Amino acid sequence: MRTMTKARIKSPWVLHFDCGSCNGCDIEILAAQTPRFDIERFGIVNIGDPKQADVLLVTGPANKRNQRVLRNLYDQMPAPKTVIAIGECACSGAIFHNCPNTLGGVDKVIPVDVYVPGCAARPEQIIDGIMLALQKLEKISECQEEGG
Amino acid sequence: MVDLLNLNTYVPALFVVLAPVIGGLLMGIDRKLTARMQSRIGPPILQPFYDAIKLWGKQPFLASGLQPILAFGYFGFSVAAYALLAFGQDILLMIFTIAVADVCLIVASFNSKSPYSNIGAKRELLVMMSYEPVMILAALNISIMTGTFMIQGIFDITVPLLPYLPLTFLAMIPVLVVNMKKSPFDVSASGHAHQELVRGIYTEFSGYTLALIEFGHWTKVALMLSFVTLFWAPNLIVGVALALTLFFVTLVIDNVYPRLDWKSMVKTTWTAGFLLIIANIIGLIVRLVAL
Amino acid sequence: MDHGMLLALTVVLPVAAGLICLVANDGLIRRLVVAVTTVALIASSLLLYSGGGFVYEPAPVFETIILVLDFVLLVYFLYAGFRFGNLLVIGLTLLQLLPIAYFEFVMGRVEVDHVLMVDNLSLLMSLIISIVGSLVVVYSLAYMDEHEEHLHLERSRQNRFFFFMLLLLGAMQGLVFSNSLYWLYFFWEMTTLCSYELIRHDGTEVAVRNAVTALWMNLLGGVAFVGAMYVGHYYVGGISLAELLGHSQTPALLLLFATLAFAAFTKSAQFPFNKWLQGAMVAPTPVSALLHSSTMVNAGVYLVLRIAPAIQGTSLSLGIALVGAFTFMITAVLALNERVSKGILAYSTIGNLGLIFMCAGLNSPLGYAAAVTILVFHSVSKGLLFLGAGVVENRVHSRLIEDWEGLLARLPFTSLMMIMGMISMFLPPFGMLIGKWAAIDAITTSPLLSGLLIIMLVLVGSAATTVYYTKWLGHLTVLPQAERTRKGEELPAAYAVSMLSLFCLILVMSSGVGLVVNGLVLPAMPADYWGGFYAGLLSLETFVGSFITYPYWIAAGLILLMGLLIARRKGGVVKPPYLSGENVPDNPVAFRTTADGEATADVSGMFLDHEVSSPQLLRMGTIIGALVVLIMFLTVVL
Repeated sequence: MRTMTKARIKSPWVLHFDCGSCNGCDIEILAAQTPRFDIERFGIVNIGDPKQADVLLVTGPANKRNQRVLRNLYDQMPAPKTVIAIGECACSGAIFHNCPNTLGGVDKVIPVDVYVPGCAARPEQIIDGIMLALQKLEKISECQEEGG
Repeated sequence: MVDLLNLNTYVPALFVVLAPVIGGLLMGIDRKLTARMQSRIGPPILQPFYDAIKLWGKQPFLASGLQPILAFGYFGFSVAAYALLAFGQDILLMIFTIAVADVCLIVASFNSKSPYSNIGAKRELLVMMSYEPVMILAALNISIMTGTFMIQGIFDITVPLLPYLPLTFLAMIPVLVVNMKKSPFDVSASGHAHQELVRGIYTEFSGYTLALIEFGHWTKVALMLSFVTLFWAPNLIVGVALALTLFFVTLVIDNVYPRLDWKSMVKTTWTAGFLLIIANIIGLIVRLVAL
Repeated sequence: MDHGMLLALTVVLPVAAGLICLVANDGLIRRLVVAVTTVALIASSLLLYSGGGFVYEPAPVFETIILVLDFVLLVYFLYAGFRFGNLLVIGLTLLQLLPIAYFEFVMGRVEVDHVLMVDNLSLLMSLIISIVGSLVVVYSLAYMDEHEEHLHLERSRQNRFFFFMLLLLGAMQGLVFSNSLYWLYFFWEMTTLCSYELIRHDGTEVAVRNAVTALWMNLLGGVAFVGAMYVGHYYVGGISLAELLGHSQTPALLLLFATLAFAAFTKSAQFPFNKWLQGAMVAPTPVSALLHSSTMVNAGVYLVLRIAPAIQGTSLSLGIALVGAFTFMITAVLALNERVSKGILAYSTIGNLGLIFMCAGLNSPLGYAAAVTILVFHSVSKGLLFLGAGVVENRVHSRLIEDWEGLLARLPFTSLMMIMGMISMFLPPFGMLIGKWAAIDAITTSPLLSGLLIIMLVLVGSAATTVYYTKWLGHLTVLPQAERTRKGEELPAAYAVSMLSLFCLILVMSSGVGLVVNGLVLPAMPADYWGGFYAGLLSLETFVGSFITYPYWIAAGLILLMGLLIARRKGGVVKPPYLSGENVPDNPVAFRTTADGEATADVSGMFLDHEVSSPQLLRMGTIIGALVVLIMFLTVVL
C-alpha cells in the first residue's frame, strides 16, 4: 500500500470525549493505555487536541446540551478522521435512550464509523474497535490517494 | 571556509541532511525505551516517521497565515544551527541560531488566540531562559580548553574534552532534559501526552505545521546530542556512546520524576549549570596553569 | 567647504534653526526649517566624515560666548531650583556656579591648546546624531500635531518643543567635537537643560516632578565635571582631553577620570542613577526617542570611550565594566516585570548602555570594538522602537503592552516597524547581536574572577532580554480573527518617512555589517586598539570566534522563502482555537459556559510579579549600584 495510507493506519491519534457517560467506559479506555493492554504499541496516542487527532472516541449518550460540543469537536478535527462510539450508551443510548434530555446514541449528532457495544466495553473490544476503524481509514485513504 | 571540491565538505553536509532523520530515530528509540521501562511493549522505532508522514497528509487547519512560515522557520533555523555545528563554526553563533528557531516557534504559538498555546509559549520562553546561559557558559569552558569558540577548535586539540570538563559534561544533563521536553522540566509541552495545557505550546499546530515542528524538534535533539559527542572529539564513536549514555540518563530521569513547575526548572538548571560549570572553569584554569 | 564652515553647520545651524522655530510658531515654517536642517546636518556630517580628523581653533570671542552662556545656564538652573523648591537642584547648581566663578574671575582663565578636536570617534557620533536625530525631529512634526490635538491645546506650544529638540542636536554635536573639558562640560549641561525642559514640556505635575529629578541627577554629573576640571587644573596640569589622554597614569589623573566616569554614569542613567530616565518616559515620545535612547544618553558612553585608552589595565576600568554589567543584568530582569511599553524600552536602553560601558571597561581591542558596534546599532534600533511606540500610543491610547494585541492587523505598517526594531535588538544576524557576541568574546580576555562575575551578569541579562522582547513580540503578533479588516493604516508622511528610513538603515547596516565594521567602527578606534575585530569577506572575525555574515542572511532569506512556498502550496483554512468545549461563532476567544453563557478566554501578560518584585529590586539595585561606584572611587583614591 501507499506510504501515506500506511502512515495513517500506523499512527492513529486519539481524542477521547465523554458525552455524559457514567465513566465506566472512560475507565476502560484509560485502562487500554496502561501497560497491561498498551495501545501505544499500535502508535495510538491519547492526544487531547482535536486539531491533532485522527480518531474520536466517544462515550456516553448524546444529549441536548453536549451535542453542540460534540459537533464542535468533530468539526475541529481535520480530515481524514473516524469516529468510534464506545459503550452501549454511545451506540444507541442504552437504558437512557428514552430519557427526555438524551437524544440517543452519538450517531444522532455525528457520523459514526465503528460501534463498540458493551457496558462497559472491555479494553480488548476497544482495541478491536480501533483496528476496525483503521481498516475503514485505510479504504478511505486509498480512495483519496487514487484521486477518488 | 566551504571548499566544494574537497570531499571533506560533503561529510558534514550529509550529516546536516541526515540530522532530522537521526533525530527522528532517536525519538523512536526514546519511546521504545520509555515503554520498556514502564513494562510495556511500546511503538515501533520508526513510529515518529509514521506520525510525521500522517500529519503531512492531514487537512490543513491553521491558526493564522503566519503560522506555517514561522513553523518552517523553527525547522529551518534548527537545521541551520546543525549546519553551523557540522561545519565547525562558532559555538556562540550556533546557540544564537537555536534561539532564533525557538523564537520562531514561540511567536508562531503566540499567533493564535488560544489561551493554552499562549501560556505554553510563555513557558517556552522560560525554558529558553533556563538553558541558554548554561550552554553559553559551557561554550566558554570549552573555549578556555581549546583557545577558541570555533567547534573546529575542539577537533584541533588532540585530547578529548571529557577528562578536563567533567562537570560541564554533567551540566549538560539538565540542558538535555529541558531541550528534549522531558520530566521534570517539560513545562511547555510534553512529548505526545496531553497535559494541563492540552498540548501546551503545540496546541494550535496541526497537520503539516505540526509535522514541521516535529522535524524541528528532531533536529534540535540531534543537535544537542551531537554537541555532547564533541566531548570526545578524537574518537567520535566514543563521543556517540557518551551522547547515547546521556540520552539514556535523560530517559531514566523522565520516567522517575513527576512534572515540576517553571520555577523549579529555572532554579535547578541555573544552580546546577552555573555551579558545575564555574567550578569546572576554575578547576580547569588552575590545572592548565599548574601544568 | 572648509572645516570652520562645516563645524558651524553641524553645531550652530541646529541652534539657529531652533531659534527660528521658537520665534515663528507656525507649522509650515517649522516643516521648512526642519527639512532644511535635516538635509544640511546629514550633508555636513557626511562631508566632515569623509574628510577625517582635524583640529580647530575657533575665534577667541567664542570662549567668552561659551562662558557667558554657561553662567546664564547655571543661573537659570538656580532659578528652576527655586521655582520648584528643590534643594538638591539649588545646592548642586551652586556647587558648579561658585567654583566656576572662582576659576574665571579669581584664578584666571585656563588656557587650552585646541578647544575643538575632531577625530573618527567624534565623527561617528556626529553621524549618528545627525541622521537618527534629524529623523526623530522629522517624526515630531506629525507627532506633536497629534499630541496637541489630543490634549486639546488652544495655543500650540510646539515652538518651545522644537527649539529645545534642535538645540539638543546642536549641543550634542558640540559635545563630541570638544577637546577642552570646559567646553565639553558646557555642552553637557546644555543637554541637561534640553532634557529638563523637554521632560516638563506638557506641564503636568508628574512631568514637572520627573523633570526636576532628571535635572538634579544630571547636575550631579555637572558637579563631577567641575571636580574633574579642578583636579585637572591643579593636580594634572590642564583640562585638554588630548593632553590628559597622553598623561602618565598618576593617581590624580585616575581620580579625574573616575569623576568623569561618574558624570557619564549619571548621563547614561546607570544604576544608581537610573531613576531619572525611567521618569523621563512621561515626556512626549520624540523626546524619549531623541534624548533618552539614541542621542543624549550616548554622551555618557562616548565620554567613557574617549577616556578608555588612558585607563587601560586599571581597577577604574574594571569598576566601569562592573557598573555596566550589573546595570545590564538588573535592567533586563526588571523589564520582565514592566507593563508599560516605554518603560520596557527605558530599561532596555539603560541596559544596553550598561553593556557598552562593560565593553569599554574591559578595555581590550575587541572590547572597544564591541562597544562601538553596540553603540551604533543600538541608536538606530532603539530610535525606531521609540518612534513606533509613539505611533501606537497615539492610535491605541494605551501604553500597556497587553493592549497591543491585534496591532498586526490594525496597524500593519507600524507593527512591521516595531517587529523589525525588536528582532534587531536581540536576534542574529542583526548588528546588536553581533555586538553582544563580540562582547562575550571580549570577556574572555579579562582576569578570571572578575571575568566570571561579568559573564554571569551578562548571561542572565541576555537571557532575560530574549524573554521580554519575545514576549512583547508575541503580544504584537497575535492575530485575532474578529478583526480581519484590511483597511489601510492612516499614516502621516512624517511618520512613514522617519520610520521607514530607520527600518531601511537597520536592514542595510545589519546586512552590510562587514562594511559598517570596516568603514565606521574600526576607524573610530584609537591607534593601539586595532586588531581585535575585523571584517572578512563572509564573516566577522575575532581572535576567538567567527560570525558568518552574508551566508547567514542568504540562509535566512531562503528559509523565509521556503516557508512561504510551503505555506502557499499546502494552504490551509484558518480555524478558531481549541477551547475545550463549544466555541462561540464569530468570536475566536469565547466559549459557552453553564446555562449557555458566553465566557472569554482571557490571558493576561506574563510579568512574573511574584518572582521579580520591581520596588524591591529597584531598591536593591540602587544600593548595589551605589556600592560599586563607591568601591570604584575607593580603589582609585586608596
